[in-house]
Amino acid sequence: MIFPLPLRLAMRELRGGIAGFRIFMLCLALGVAVIAGVGSLGAAIEAGLKADSRALMGGDVEFTLVLRTATTDELGYLEAAGQVSHVAQLRGMARTSDGQNRSLIEIKSVDEAYPLYGSVTLAPAAALADALAKRDGQWGVVVAPALMDRLRIKPGDAIRIGDATLAVRGGLVHEPDGISGLIEIGPRVMMASGALAATGLDQPGVLVNHSYRVKLAPGGDAAAMVAGARTRFPDAGWRIRQFNNAAPSLQTLLDQMTVFMALVGLAALVVGGVGVGNAISSYLAGKTETIATLKCLGASRREVFETYLAEILALAGCGIALGLVAGAAAPYVAVPLLPAALPVTARLALYPAPLFEAALFGLLTTLAFALWPLGAAAEVAPASLFRAKVEPLLGRPPKMTIAAVVAFCVLLAALAIVTAPDRATASWAVLGTVAAMLVFRLAAMALVWAARRGGRPRYPSLRLALANLYRPGAPTAAVVASLGLGLAVLVAIALVEGNVAEEIDMRLPERAPSFFFIDIQPDQVAAFDALLQGMPGVVEEGRVPSLRGRITRINGVPVDKARVAFDARWAIQGERGLTYAAAPPRGSRVVAGAWWPTDYHGEPLLSFDADLARGMGLALGDTLTVNVLGRELTARITNLREIDWTSLGINFAIVLSPGALDGAPQTNIATARTAPENEAALERAVIDRFPNVSAIAVKDALQALGDMVRAIGAAVTAVAAVALAAGALVLAGAIAAGHRRRVYDAIVLKVLGATRRDVTLSFLIEYGLMGLAAAGLAAAIGTLAAWLLMTRVMHAPWSFLPGVVAATVLAATLVTLVAGYAGTWRALGAKAGPYLRNE
Amino acid sequence: MSAAPTDPLVRVDDVHLTLGSAAGPVNVLRGVSLTIEAGESVGLVGPSGSGKSTLMMVLGGLERPSAGRVVIAGADLGALGEDALARFRRDTIGIVFQSFHLLPTMTALENVAIPLELAGRGDAFAQARSVLDAIGLGARVLHYPSQLSGGEQQRVAIARAFVARPKLLLADEPTGNLDGATGRIVMDLLFRLRAERGTALLLITHDHELARRCGRIVGLADGRIAGDASVPAALAGAP
Repeated sequence: MIFPLPLRLAMRELRGGIAGFRIFMLCLALGVAVIAGVGSLGAAIEAGLKADSRALMGGDVEFTLVLRTATTDELGYLEAAGQVSHVAQLRGMARTSDGQNRSLIEIKSVDEAYPLYGSVTLAPAAALADALAKRDGQWGVVVAPALMDRLRIKPGDAIRIGDATLAVRGGLVHEPDGISGLIEIGPRVMMASGALAATGLDQPGVLVNHSYRVKLAPGGDAAAMVAGARTRFPDAGWRIRQFNNAAPSLQTLLDQMTVFMALVGLAALVVGGVGVGNAISSYLAGKTETIATLKCLGASRREVFETYLAEILALAGCGIALGLVAGAAAPYVAVPLLPAALPVTARLALYPAPLFEAALFGLLTTLAFALWPLGAAAEVAPASLFRAKVEPLLGRPPKMTIAAVVAFCVLLAALAIVTAPDRATASWAVLGTVAAMLVFRLAAMALVWAARRGGRPRYPSLRLALANLYRPGAPTAAVVASLGLGLAVLVAIALVEGNVAEEIDMRLPERAPSFFFIDIQPDQVAAFDALLQGMPGVVEEGRVPSLRGRITRINGVPVDKARVAFDARWAIQGERGLTYAAAPPRGSRVVAGAWWPTDYHGEPLLSFDADLARGMGLALGDTLTVNVLGRELTARITNLREIDWTSLGINFAIVLSPGALDGAPQTNIATARTAPENEAALERAVIDRFPNVSAIAVKDALQALGDMVRAIGAAVTAVAAVALAAGALVLAGAIAAGHRRRVYDAIVLKVLGATRRDVTLSFLIEYGLMGLAAAGLAAAIGTLAAWLLMTRVMHAPWSFLPGVVAATVLAATLVTLVAGYAGTWRALGAKAGPYLRNE
Repeated sequence: MSAAPTDPLVRVDDVHLTLGSAAGPVNVLRGVSLTIEAGESVGLVGPSGSGKSTLMMVLGGLERPSAGRVVIAGADLGALGEDALARFRRDTIGIVFQSFHLLPTMTALENVAIPLELAGRGDAFAQARSVLDAIGLGARVLHYPSQLSGGEQQRVAIARAFVARPKLLLADEPTGNLDGATGRIVMDLLFRLRAERGTALLLITHDHELARRCGRIVGLADGRIAGDASVPAALAGAP
């Protein structure tokens, strides 16, 4: 014999067919597919990021200075390392020649070396240098198609930007380094460096990012070059990136989405695990006769255990394989659906690492949920063959098996935490899932207890339904727990989505200003204020100075060595807005420490965002060092503020005391509000008078934000629906497992005189009660989870959306009723003979 | 400890068995003492609820008595753990059930071979085929239980019980689910194999004619031995 005996016996047992295992395999396949799919898609996008990283960033190394260009020495150092391309980026306003149409734009001025990697695609096709060259005294620009739509222009038309009139020479179809941010409010306009000078927009204090991309000479070492730059120019204040960190914002978003969707996939796997456990329990309960016979013939507990473990692992392998195939195919399905605006070309391929991880999850889930019924089955007494046939039940497994179950559950949780980019969030999610399952389980037990204590209702259908809820082997607890968990995830996501959508679509616009006006020069302030005050129906809500700086040290520790929480890292990535003020800004509340006196003059003091302080481990009295235009400024934190970012007022995480930034080049930001019908006139008046000022229409920004949130929400909901699908599978499995009993009950009841209506009603009541219990619990737990997420994690306003919850509860109850009815219909159609003769 | 040549194969000493129930403890066996010699055939008769099946379970190591001692082939069953009892059954006991209890996903050949496979015998299938051929089911070796008639299933079950050459065969109403003619064929087979292998037999039956085919009849009533007499050779029928 080639195979050991348990394996041989397992193969023979499989001849009985896999009908009882379809649900088991589907449950596993679903959870594994989600984890594998999310991981594979993430890997495909990440591979695209890596493969195109040089083109995405525009070079091997990038040095970015804000508000100033490189000095001669700095430029000389860069040019000694290889070929250098200088790109300047800023916001501006474009107007048609007749002044009728205008738009905020993202300007990129490039030199002749651009692009160092990749290529620019224009429509009609043309060489970039030709399109941007000065011809007949006029510089050329290429513009994003969205701008041509907005301004209703075409190639050959002229537009005004700042003080210059520029010729539109083509549409900008593709730029290799097109990741400017996650949300683009203004369409792109590309021009030559000389054209930017002609616009007059590059003035002191205007937020211009000067990026110097370096294509290293052959043999060049990027790390050494960067280290040399930091040593040689310690106070340059430049942000340095290497090509392997080409798109940090996109990377962060990808990480967060991957974390979330993977955790939802894990929830689906846990729910599916309940289905696995149920299916195996049901199968083994039907095998008690075989197990008892084997033991009568001399099989030991171990031989029985190993036989059925081998069978279950073989089938689990099939389910996992199915899930892996679906997951591996996910990028091929999802990538074409990704928004065209995603500047990364995902690389379609097989990625073994996420598949291996998903398979491991599947295996651990199988073992965690299968060992209990397996262990119990091995304890089946051989004497049961001689006893009267009652509903076959599996008892408790031995202590060693229970310990093994606990061990595999812990391993499963540990794997979920260790493989997540954000382990803190993953830990909370795992704890939350376990807690939710426990709560559902307890609630289900309470339902069973209540049904048992429900007395003897008058109506037989109700009496039978209640009795079925607590009869030995009833799947009540498992169905309520697993369906409930899937529903709770969906309710929580639906409520969060609903709240975010309400915030973006309704609440924010109500309190949002009409415009943010940026890049107001200091010598324009008085005229600007006067213009707005002179316009009827326009209210200038605020105006503050605005500078840019980068946090370089946290309490004396360089940022790259400081411990910063995951959700505070955004503040140390790149430039941050700074301001100074004599009084606390509107829209924020001092929650610790005290504000400085309005006439304060002294050492630099700093007011900091309370959440960021928590994330960076900062307290009152600690220091923060910011680099502003190459100058390091260290300030002591004297108060912490809670900022309501949703007020959409002018808010800064960092506010310095007056005098700290004297002499630093700066501009001003102002917000203004007016009635929607006056907005166009307000914008026109400001831009015509101050061509260097950019107007950001808040509703356009909210629209772009809303679109992105809705796209993400759709993806998240789709994944969450998987968790619900897993719950539905568990329900289907419970119905399938109980089918034979249901048929027997129906036949005996009919023989005794019950009508079809009586029988149908009792089954519907039974499933309706289970569905209602699951849905009611899901509504409560899902609402609590959503409230916690909105108020404690996102710090956003919360409102209960009864429509969402009611719809979910109704849908769930309906699904269980339909499923129960379908099972009953089949039972009522069965012929009586075979069941009565065998029994 | 192995049995001395003169020891009976089976010795049951004052066995009591009390089972718990929702209505209170039930004394199923109340001091049963019994011996069975090697090669002896014993019919066990008695009304329903007298404890016949329970006594058989005690002899098969499937139930532990509340008091008393059971020694079979020199082995004290009370001193054996569950897995040791399983091995004991594998090596020493054969059991034939009223409901056959063939394994539904295994062929007739595999069903018969399984006790030898459990014992780690490399010739399990050869032995099984030999037995099936001997009882006229050589053409049905690859058939599953669902493809066999009731009588054929019981014959396969008997072959399975005998294939390991057990010292003791326990048969619980082996013809209870069979019609008269089929039952006679099955019992003829059972007694023939018993005689060929010298296997001791304890046969539970309601059929007194069948009981008289045994060398001895033991009556059980209300958990106690109510009678124990040998059947005159003239009335015993087939050896």
